[in-house]
Amino acid sequence: MSATYPPLSRKLVNIVMLSLTGLCTLLVVSALLTILVYLLWNGAHALNLNFFIKLPAPVGQSGGGVSNAIVGTLKLLALATVSGVPIGLLGGIYLSEFAGGWSAFTVRYTTDLLNGVPSVVMGIFVYTLVVLPMHHFSTLAGGIALGIMMIPIALRSTEDFLRAVPRSLREGGLALGASKSETIFTIVIPAAIYGILTGIMLDVARVAGETAPLLFTAFGNQFNSPGWLQPTASLPVVIYNYAISPYDEWHQQAWAAGFVLLSGLLVVSILARLVLARGKKMSHG
Amino acid sequence: MILRFLALAVLTTASAYAPQVSAQQISLTGAGSTFAYPLYSSWASQYHTLHSNVEINYQSIGSGGGIRQLIAGTVDFGATDGPMTDKELAEAQQKRGTAILHFPTALGADVPSYNIPGVTAELKFTPAALAGIYLGHITKWNDAEIQKSNPGVKLPAANIVVVHRSDGSGTTYCWVDYLSKVSSEWKNKVGVGTSVNWPVGLGGKGNEGVSGLIRRIPNSIGYIELIYSIQNHILYGDVENSSGKFIKADLNTVTSAAAGATKTMPADFRVSITNPPGATAYPISTYTWLLIPEKMADKTKGAALKIFLHWALTDGQQYTKPLAYAPLPSVVVQKELDQMKKLQY
Repeated sequence: MSATYPPLSRKLVNIVMLSLTGLCTLLVVSALLTILVYLLWNGAHALNLNFFIKLPAPVGQSGGGVSNAIVGTLKLLALATVSGVPIGLLGGIYLSEFAGGWSAFTVRYTTDLLNGVPSVVMGIFVYTLVVLPMHHFSTLAGGIALGIMMIPIALRSTEDFLRAVPRSLREGGLALGASKSETIFTIVIPAAIYGILTGIMLDVARVAGETAPLLFTAFGNQFNSPGWLQPTASLPVVIYNYAISPYDEWHQQAWAAGFVLLSGLLVVSILARLVLARGKKMSHG
Repeated sequence: MILRFLALAVLTTASAYAPQVSAQQISLTGAGSTFAYPLYSSWASQYHTLHSNVEINYQSIGSGGGIRQLIAGTVDFGATDGPMTDKELAEAQQKRGTAILHFPTALGADVPSYNIPGVTAELKFTPAALAGIYLGHITKWNDAEIQKSNPGVKLPAANIVVVHRSDGSGTTYCWVDYLSKVSSEWKNKVGVGTSVNWPVGLGGKGNEGVSGLIRRIPNSIGYIELIYSIQNHILYGDVENSSGKFIKADLNTVTSAAAGATKTMPADFRVSITNPPGATAYPISTYTWLLIPEKMADKTKGAALKIFLHWALTDGQQYTKPLAYAPLPSVVVQKELDQMKKLQY
C-alpha cells in the first residue's frame, strides 16, 4: 500500500487545467497589448501635433487632423454623464434602499433589458425622439443617446455598491435619530462613494467607443461644432468613416484616432482602479 | 465665482481680438452623394476661407440617405447623383410643405474599376461585357466577351469578384440606368433605382467603401466616380459608347456626353445623360445635383445657402477640373440662376 496521495491522475488534471487557465489569462492580456501596439504601429505616422490641433483636410488632400472630433467626443461624454448618471444614480439608490418585491423586480428587469438593447436601436430611438422634432442633428441628441446607454450600468453598479454597505451602519444612523434620507445621504452613500465613482468612470469608458448611436444623432461635422445644437464630429464615427475610406492617409489617421481613444479609455479605467483602491484603503484604515 | 470671472475675462479678450466678421456664425448642414463628396468637401473648405462666418458641413452618407434626411427635414440641403423620383418629391412636399429644387453642380462619370493581379493594361469593356458581369453571366476574367475587345492583354482564368454599393446611391443609379439602356435583360430583371436587387456581388458603403473593397480584393471590379479611381490609383477601363468607340472617361468625354442634353434640358433639371449619341461621348456620365428646398423656416440660413449656391454655380466651378469633374455648360448655369429666383428666402 504505497499509493501516493493525491493520485497521479489528479496531479495530471491539475497541471493541464493550470496551464490552460494560464494560457487563457495570457491570451486575454496579450489581446489588449496587441491591439494597442498594432494601433500605434499603424497610426504612428499620423500622430503629430497637427493631428490634435487641426481640422480635417478636404477629401483626398493631405494633412489635417481630428481636433474637432476629440472636442466633440469630450462634449458628448460630458453631456451623456450629466443626462444619464443622475437617473442611474437615483435609480440605484431607490433599488437598494427603498424598493422591494414587485417594483424592484420590474425596475431591475427593465434595466437589464435596456442594457441589452443594441446600440444602433438606441441611435434610431433618439433620432426619432430628438432629431426629428428638432429638425437637426446635434451634440445634444448624441449626448442623450449615450446618456441613455449609461443608465443601466450606473444604476446597477450604484445598487451593488450601496448593498455592500453593512446593514449595521444604517441601523446606527437611524438609532441616532437621523431620518431615513439623512442616513442614506450622510452615511450610506459616503461609505460607498468610491465604488460608485468607479462604476461611473467605467460606464463613461464603456460608451466612449460607441459608434452606432452617434451615426444618426451627432451625425458628423468637418468643422468645430459651436454650442450643443449643431451636428458634431466624434472619434468613433471618424474612425468608422476613415477606416472604410480608400485613402491611405485617412487609414493612418483612423489608426491614430483609435490609439488616442483607447489610450483615453485606459487612463480612465486605471484612474477608476486607483479611486476604488483609495476607497478600500480608507475604509479599512 | 472666480472661474466664472475668468471665463468672462477670456471671452471679452477673445472677442476684442477676433477679426470682425460681418455676420453671425452660420452652419449649414447637407448630406448625400458620395460621388460628389470630394468636390463638395473642397468647396466647403474654399468657401470657408472666403466667408469665415459660414460653415458648410457636408456629410457623404450616400444619395439615398441624403434624400431621406432631406425629406425628414433634418438637413438644410441634400445632394444626389440620381434625380429624386416624383413620389419622393411629393413626399417632401407633404412632409415639409415645400417643393425641392434640383440644381446641377457638376458632371462626373462612373468608371468600371478593377484590380487584377498581373494586369496593368487599361481594359476595354463592351456594354455586353459590363451587363454580363453584373448579371452574373460572365464569371471569369478571360471570358470571350472581355477577351475579344482586349486582344493584347493576357487575362487570368480567375473568378470575377463583383462589387456594388450597399447603400442607396446615385452612383448606382447612373450605373444601372446605363445598364438598363444597353441590356434589355437588365431592364426587365433588375431595373433602375438608387438601390436595386443585385443578381451577384458584394456591397460596399459609399464610393469610399467600394474603392476600398476594389483595392483590397484581387480580381475585383466595381463602379466608382472617376476621382476616386484617380486619387487611389485604381485602374479603370474604357467603355464602348453608342457609336461603337471605346472611350476613356475624362473631362472632354464627359462634357461631350452633356453637350447633347443641354438643348433638351427639362425645366426641373432631372435628366439622364447615360448612353448618349455622339462619337466622343463617355456613356456612363451624369449630372450631380444639390437638392434645395424652395422654402426654409430660417431665413438667415436660407440667405446664406442662396449665396453659397450662387458661388458654387459660378466661381466654384473652377474647382471642378482639378478633381476631374466636368464644369457645367454655361447654358445650364444660366438656366439654374433663373431657377434660383424661385427660392423664397
